[in-house]
Amino acid sequence: MKKNILVIGGGPAGLEASANLKRLGYNVILIEKDKQLGGHLAKWDRLFPDGVSAKQTLNALLDEVSGVNCFTETEVQQLNVLEKSYNAILSNGITILADAVLLASGFDLFKAEKKEEYGYGIYEGVITNADLEEAFREKKLPAKHPQAIGFVHCVGSRDEKAGNPACSKVCCATAVKQACEVKEVYPDADVYCFYMDLRMFGRHYEDLYLKAQKEFGIRFIRGRVSEVAETTDGRLQVKAEDTLSSKPLKVTLDMLVLMAGMRPSESGKSVGRQLNLTTEEDGFFSSADNLLSIQRSKLPGFFYAGACTGAKTLPDTLHEARSAAIEIDRYIKEKFSEK
Amino acid sequence: MIDFGFTVSPSSRINLDKCDKKSFSALAALEPDVLKCMACGSCSASCTAAHFEPTSVRRAILSLQNGQVEQALDLLKSCMLCGKCTMVCPRGINTRHLIISIQKIYGK
Amino acid sequence: MTRLLIAAGQHVTPEGIIDRYPNSYNHFVLPFVIGISFILVYLLIGLIRVLYHLTGEDRIKLLKSLFIPKTALKNLKDIFCDCLIHTKIWERKPLLGYMHSAIAFGWFMLIVLGHLEVALFAPRHLEGISEGSLYYPIFYRFFIWINPEHETLRGTVFFFLMDFFLLYVLSGIGLAMFKRVRSIALGMRHTTKPSLADRVALYCLWAIFPLRLLAESFTADLSGGSFLTKPVNWMFRAFFGNELNFMPTWWAYSICLGLFFLAMPFSRYMHILTEPLLILMRNAGLKVRKPRKGFAEAEIYACSSCGLCIDACPMNTQKKNLKYSSVYFIRFLRRHNNRKINEIADKCLMCGKCAAICPVGVNSPEIRRVQRETLNNSISYDYSYLDNIAEEKLTSEASAKGKVLYFAGCMSHLTPKIIKSVESLLKASGTEYEFMDKDSGICCGRPLMLAGKTEAARKTIQANKALIEASGCKTLLLSCPICLKVFKEEYGLKGIEILHYTQLVDKLVKEGKIAPQKGSVSMVYHDPCELGRGCGIYNEPRNVLSAIGDLKKAPKEKDESICCGYSLGSMTLEEKDRSKIAESSVDNLMAGNPECIVTACPMCYRAIRSKSPVPVKDFAEIVAENMKQ
Repeated sequence: MKKNILVIGGGPAGLEASANLKRLGYNVILIEKDKQLGGHLAKWDRLFPDGVSAKQTLNALLDEVSGVNCFTETEVQQLNVLEKSYNAILSNGITILADAVLLASGFDLFKAEKKEEYGYGIYEGVITNADLEEAFREKKLPAKHPQAIGFVHCVGSRDEKAGNPACSKVCCATAVKQACEVKEVYPDADVYCFYMDLRMFGRHYEDLYLKAQKEFGIRFIRGRVSEVAETTDGRLQVKAEDTLSSKPLKVTLDMLVLMAGMRPSESGKSVGRQLNLTTEEDGFFSSADNLLSIQRSKLPGFFYAGACTGAKTLPDTLHEARSAAIEIDRYIKEKFSEK
Repeated sequence: MIDFGFTVSPSSRINLDKCDKKSFSALAALEPDVLKCMACGSCSASCTAAHFEPTSVRRAILSLQNGQVEQALDLLKSCMLCGKCTMVCPRGINTRHLIISIQKIYGK
Repeated sequence: MTRLLIAAGQHVTPEGIIDRYPNSYNHFVLPFVIGISFILVYLLIGLIRVLYHLTGEDRIKLLKSLFIPKTALKNLKDIFCDCLIHTKIWERKPLLGYMHSAIAFGWFMLIVLGHLEVALFAPRHLEGISEGSLYYPIFYRFFIWINPEHETLRGTVFFFLMDFFLLYVLSGIGLAMFKRVRSIALGMRHTTKPSLADRVALYCLWAIFPLRLLAESFTADLSGGSFLTKPVNWMFRAFFGNELNFMPTWWAYSICLGLFFLAMPFSRYMHILTEPLLILMRNAGLKVRKPRKGFAEAEIYACSSCGLCIDACPMNTQKKNLKYSSVYFIRFLRRHNNRKINEIADKCLMCGKCAAICPVGVNSPEIRRVQRETLNNSISYDYSYLDNIAEEKLTSEASAKGKVLYFAGCMSHLTPKIIKSVESLLKASGTEYEFMDKDSGICCGRPLMLAGKTEAARKTIQANKALIEASGCKTLLLSCPICLKVFKEEYGLKGIEILHYTQLVDKLVKEGKIAPQKGSVSMVYHDPCELGRGCGIYNEPRNVLSAIGDLKKAPKEKDESICCGYSLGSMTLEEKDRSKIAESSVDNLMAGNPECIVTACPMCYRAIRSKSPVPVKDFAEIVAENMKQ
């Protein structure tokens, strides 16, 4: 008989893991709380470093999961540990006996309004990275020509006050990508990136950085924005320190994009509460081992993939999803071949 | 060794070998937060006094690490302890106590 | 029985009261006499010390205040209410209040009535030390024999009153004993650990009144008694016979009194005697100038070490921080433990709750501030740039003549929502205003004062004052309570009305210039420390908020509100500890499950937002959102 695997979360991690588990011969049940599959990827327009379409990437992932039982707009209502399996009661009324569970609950974007001083939700010109992607996707960029645009890195990341001391890993590259994209639309506008440290660690990321400097003339200012105020004509006055010249600096902008970081998702947390899963200080779930078995939790038969164990890039997430499939396969084989 | 005259004018290079590491350890004992700075510049950017005079906790910390005590004290002498820097510091550094501690340890 | 009537017939008063002892003296009074003499001398020296350390100006102020009828009346009222009835404790913890007033007022009445009795029935003994005026009124019942046939109505009334107040005191003592065992029953979670002197004094205090009951009961058949002492007397006589227990009990009574007075200066019970002095000094308007001398010393010795401030301290959310409570601060001040004094002084959030709930009214945050002054006032600074700003401004013409001048302050610039909302309310109400620190400003000086850099604070105050006066404004509007307090107390701005935006909005609503729209949203208001306890503004924001929605009460509110944890008052409190305090502050606000939390301080706003499960709104923000179109 086919073993049942429950995958919680229909973002890239959940999709990729489901596809691989199906291929390995398991009966996969994938649940997603939103109407559509794809998680944050479905809300994005283009992806760094090469600017490929998020939609195409998602479609490729979706093609792989045909034949998987997908329940959208469904959440786990109750999850119980049984002797050799897990009993899950779903919000759509279905009860599942799963031999293994994969949690791919991903992340929520940091609520930018919590950084009160940046004025998100107060000033019209202040938007988040997600808002900008949506604007690109819907082709609804501000009609009025902005003269100057700023990007603030690390909003709600590397910030103890915001409750997240960790780096969110993707914001630097996203900011540089978005800065280039904005400049493409408004070639006359001045574009500034306010960063603390520019973490362009991945393959081609440095190329992206170079392109932003060379081709788009984006100005990188090493300093964290501390205050945003409104000028009398409704523009935004941004204050930061240019730490490289050691001078406080101010600049008037028309649009300020906040790079909201990654926080553990609320839906993931609610699953965690049901099973008393442990989290680390940053709020993300703790793996059995942070080097050797990131995919394993402390509960046998319960696995993690993707950003539920900390901020990840898309390729990282996909790798984890695949390795989670292998780990689950190994677990099932060991567990059920004993007899 | 031939003297080429390079030693005639004093070197403008920061010399870490000659830093007063003892005072800095004393400071770190009194206010351990001094070790937490990641030089983001939030403090200087929001500083009320920096609008008028060069004032910066970030630079003061850096100066002390580089042994430039005079410069550090200069960067803090205009501070009005308003506490904005404490509020904006992403590392949660207790800047007000740090400033007073620096002035107590290094000041005359 | 006749053996006891040694000197019968020597001094027979018309009422038939006879001194039983020659010279009205017995050795057993000695411990009491030693104790009372010691405490009187100690008090006198203490009083001289305190007065000596006051500045000349303060001494004159104090002296003058005694003769100002209004102040004198207030003195009397405060001494009666605070020292005897303990109204402040009654208000918060009735059972604890009863306990205190029973012991204090009851004992006081026993002393007064005892002296009255002597004055009426044996006035000779009040005439001087040689006549035993020091002890005779206390041990009156021992020394006299009253001919039962001559008992008068007046005498009986006294007997009754004395027994009544003794019972009253005993009920208080009973509660006190119970409290030692279970303090929570009287509404205290934490109580202080008593020192040795505290314990000696405490056990003596517990023993004094039961012993007095016994002693007076043993003589009740000779010197009269009432509903309490008479039956006890009868009971003891029936079982033990009287004479055997007679002397030891009076001895024990006297020893306990004597020991109590000897231990008193080193124990918490010193407050019984020092509180009146503190009241006089406080009503005279004296201020703490040195952390250990003068007025501060009066405060230190007036601390009753009751420990109510331990429960009140917002730092009590973590057990490790209990040691920073005011009661321990004052204990270390008494013991001159400088390291601890400085440590606690620096840690305190200066939220002022301990002072607000202190039954004696010790303003320990102020002592802490002055303690910080001793270390930090001499730290060098250079504010010469302030002079340039002021100079430039003074030569330009008045820009805000007759208008409202809005000073947002440093912190409000980190909460643009507050600034935007305040401005929109000003515009909506048609109020003409100028924004003083839109782009840059000078700090109000309060943070410097809190850090003990008072001299430096004077500089910034001076600079701001010059700018404000030059502007010609009629009203100074502030959105930060930290600023408000210092502007009110230290600036001395003549002819300029200083208002917090909660006050201005309340005024504008009353004048009909803005009309709030009543909705159904339930909310709770968080009192910022500096606005509530600091400036006494509790009702204005509540007036307006109840016109907007359903204003709920938090379990701890107004002067008992819990600091948000991010007060500038603390010099050394770590971010993590602050965050814990913010959580407990939010827990208190969330007790009634409100749909939103409202506050009126940029610091509280940020702190509470970071922890609240429901939306947090600034006062101006919620008013601006709920206006009739």
